[in-house]
Amino acid sequence: MEHIITVLVENKFGVLAQIAGMFSGRGFNIDSLAVGETQDPTVSRMTIVVHGDDKVVAQILKQLNKLVYVIKAEDLTAIKFVERELMLIKVETTAKNRREVLEIADIFRSKIVDAQHGSLTIEASGNGDKLAALVDLLRVYGIKELVRTGRIGLARG
Amino acid sequence: MTAEHTTKQRHPLAGKTMSGAEMIIQVLVDEGVDTIFGYSGGAILPTYDAIFRYNAAHKRSEQVRLIVPANEQGAGFMAAGYARASGRVGCFIVTSGPGATNTVTPIRDCAADSVPVVLICGQVPCAAIGTDAFQEAPVFNIMSSCAKHVFLVKEPGELEAVARTAFEIARTGRPGPVVIDVPKDVQNAAGVFQGGGLLNLRGYHDRMAALAAARVSREQAKAFYEMLARSDRPLIYAGGGVISANAARELRAFSQAFNIPVVTTLTGIGSVDTTSELSLHMLGMHGTAHANYAVEDCDFLITIGARFDDRVAGKVSDFAPRAKYIAHIDIDAAEIGKVKAAQWVFVGDAKTALADLCAYGKHFKKDFTKWVRHIRELKREHPMNYDREASLILPYYVIQCLNEITRGDAIITTGVGQHQMWSAQYFDFHQPRSWITSGSMGTMGFGLPAAIGAKTACPDRTVIDVDGDGSMRMNLGELETVTTYDIPVKIMLMNNLGDGMVRQWQRLYFGKRFSGTDKSLHKKDFVKTAQADGFEFARRLDDKSKVKQMLRDFVAFKGPAFLEVMIDQEAGVYPMVGPGMSYREMITGDYINKREEETPSPPPEEVIDMTKIPDLF
Repeated sequence: MEHIITVLVENKFGVLAQIAGMFSGRGFNIDSLAVGETQDPTVSRMTIVVHGDDKVVAQILKQLNKLVYVIKAEDLTAIKFVERELMLIKVETTAKNRREVLEIADIFRSKIVDAQHGSLTIEASGNGDKLAALVDLLRVYGIKELVRTGRIGLARG
Repeated sequence: MTAEHTTKQRHPLAGKTMSGAEMIIQVLVDEGVDTIFGYSGGAILPTYDAIFRYNAAHKRSEQVRLIVPANEQGAGFMAAGYARASGRVGCFIVTSGPGATNTVTPIRDCAADSVPVVLICGQVPCAAIGTDAFQEAPVFNIMSSCAKHVFLVKEPGELEAVARTAFEIARTGRPGPVVIDVPKDVQNAAGVFQGGGLLNLRGYHDRMAALAAARVSREQAKAFYEMLARSDRPLIYAGGGVISANAARELRAFSQAFNIPVVTTLTGIGSVDTTSELSLHMLGMHGTAHANYAVEDCDFLITIGARFDDRVAGKVSDFAPRAKYIAHIDIDAAEIGKVKAAQWVFVGDAKTALADLCAYGKHFKKDFTKWVRHIRELKREHPMNYDREASLILPYYVIQCLNEITRGDAIITTGVGQHQMWSAQYFDFHQPRSWITSGSMGTMGFGLPAAIGAKTACPDRTVIDVDGDGSMRMNLGELETVTTYDIPVKIMLMNNLGDGMVRQWQRLYFGKRFSGTDKSLHKKDFVKTAQADGFEFARRLDDKSKVKQMLRDFVAFKGPAFLEVMIDQEAGVYPMVGPGMSYREMITGDYINKREEETPSPPPEEVIDMTKIPDLF
C-alpha cells in the first residue's frame, strides 16, 4: 500500500543525504521525495511517498525517528490529510490540435505557462489521480518533456 | 549527562580565546577522555599539536594519553575495546582521506554492537572540499551510512557545541559511534570558548528525555505478571543491551527473585554469571545445547536488550516454538516487532524496566521449581564436551585450561571465527564487560586492538586476546603497538592454519572444497613476528602435555606475552544451528548429547486483555 510520510527535520548540512541514506541502506524504496523549508527557517519538511506493507512502513517510521536530525516523522496516510503535486508538462501541438489541448488544460484547471510554435507547456497541480488522468489524455498529442515536484502533504486541522 | 553541563557552574576556561583544535581537546578532557587513540596526518595536524601542547601544560596525572596504532582501523578497535571494557565513551582521532576511510570498519562495528565512541577526522580546508584535494574523502557521506551520527563542521563557532553534543549522542539512547569531520581551517580558527552548551536538536532531545523518563506502568506490570502467572516455563533471553545499560545487577536480581533461568546472546555474555545455577549460557547458532533446548521448551520468553538477530533466531517462525508469550524490553523502538512480534513491550532503559518490574512483583509468587529442575537436567544431560583423549591439542581443552588459571576473572577479547565461538562457549564470565567481541559485524582483526583498548581502560584487569591465525593477520601491525607502549596484554593465538570457521562451512555445505581458506603452506612464523616486535615472551606450544604449564607461565609473565598454540586443524564448533534453520535441526557433533525431539505442539491460543502500551514516538 502507498504511504505518504511527512518528516520534519533540522535544516542542517547533509540531512537529506542522511535521510536518503537510511532508505537505501535498509533497502526501502522511495517513490517520491519533496523537501523545502517550513515557516521556521531552521526546520525543513520532507514529504516521502513509499510503498510497503504495514510492517515495512512501521519500520521506516521508527528508523526515521531514530535519526538525530529528525524532529518528527509521521505517516499521513494514517490520518486525515491534504496532498498536492505540481507538474509541468510540455505537449507537442499543431495549429490544428492546439485548441483541443487548451480545452483539456482548462478542464483540469491547469495553466499554460509557455506557448511556442509546436508546443504548449502546462502547469497542473492536484493529487496523484488527477495528474495521472491529465497525462493520460495528453499522451496522444505527444509529450515532449515532463517534470513533477513529488507529492507534498499536510495533516488536516 | 546534559544536565551536568547546563547546571555546572561556569567553566574555568569560559571566555578564553582558543583555536578550534584547542577547543576539541578541552571538550574531550571535560567529557572524561583520558586516552586518545589515533594517527596523525596533514589535515589533523593542528589537533595533534593541541594534544602535545595540552600535555606540555599539564602535570602528568592530568595529561591525555596518546596511543598511536599501526593503522587507523586499530585505533578504532582500541577505542571500541576501551569503551566496551569501561562503559565510557572511547575516542579516536585520525586524519582526512585514507585516515578516515580506514576507520569505516570500526565505526560500522561500533554501530552494529551499540558501542559509544567518538571519532574526530581531519578534513581538507573548507575551500578545498569537493575539489578532489589531496587526501580528501567524502567522510560525511561515507560515515552517514555507518555511524549513529556524523557532523561536518563548517562553522568554527559551532565546533565546541558539536564536540560536546557528539559525546551526548554517543552515550544516550541506544549507544553508538559519532563522527566529527573537522576541516583544517576550522581547527585553526580562533574563537571564544564557551565552556558549555549543546546543539539544539529538538527531536532527538525530546526522544531521549522521553526514553529517560519511561517507566513501567502499573498496568504494564500487571499484564506482565499476568503472563508470568499463566506460564510454567519462563526464560530470560538477555542481550548486549543489558550490558550497555549497566543493568546486570538488576537482571540478576530479577532472575533470582522469581527463579527464572537466563540464556544470553553472544554480546550479552557476562550479564549473568555464567557459572550460576540459573545461567544456561549462550543461545543461537553456536549456543550451548542446553540453552537452545531451553529456548525450545520455554512457554514465556522475556527478551531484554536483545533483537532476535539471525544468528540467534535462525528460522524466525520456529524460534521459541512453544512460547505462548514474548516480552520485549529495548531502548530502541525500531527493534520492537522488527523480527519477532511481542505481546508485551517496553521501550526504555533496561535497568529501569527491571528495577520497576522487580518492585511491582514483590508480592508475586509462583513456583517454577519444576522448570528449574528441568533446566538443571538439561545442563547435566547436554553439557559442552569434546574428545578428552585426543592426542592433538584441541582448542576447547586449551581454553578450559586457561580458564582454570584465570577463573573467569579475565577480560577476554577475540577475533572472529571458531576461536571466538570456542571462547564464548568454554570460558566462564562472572562479570559484565569481561567479554569483548565483534558480534554483529563479525570483524576479523578485532581482538588485538580491542585488547589494547581494554587494558588501557582497565589496567588492573588481566586482559587476554584469544585470537585465530586468520584474524591475527588482519591487524598484525598492532603487535608492535603493544610493545611500544608496554601494554601488558596476553595474546593467545590458536593457530589452525586457515580460516577455520569458513572451512567448517565449506566442510558442511560446499563439499569440502576449501577455496581460499587453507593456509597450511603459508610460511608465516608468528613467534618470530612477535619477537621482531619486541615481545620478550613469544612461544609456540605444540605438545599437549605442556599446555597447562605453558599457560601458567604465559599468564604469569609480567608484561606483554605472546603464545601460539598449534591446534587440531579439523576441530569444529559445536553445537551448530545452520543458517536459517530451526533449533530442532541443531547439530551437536560427536561429543555433546543430542536429545530426541518431539515436534512441538503450537502454544494454545491465549489472549490476555493487554493494556495499550503508550507509543513513545
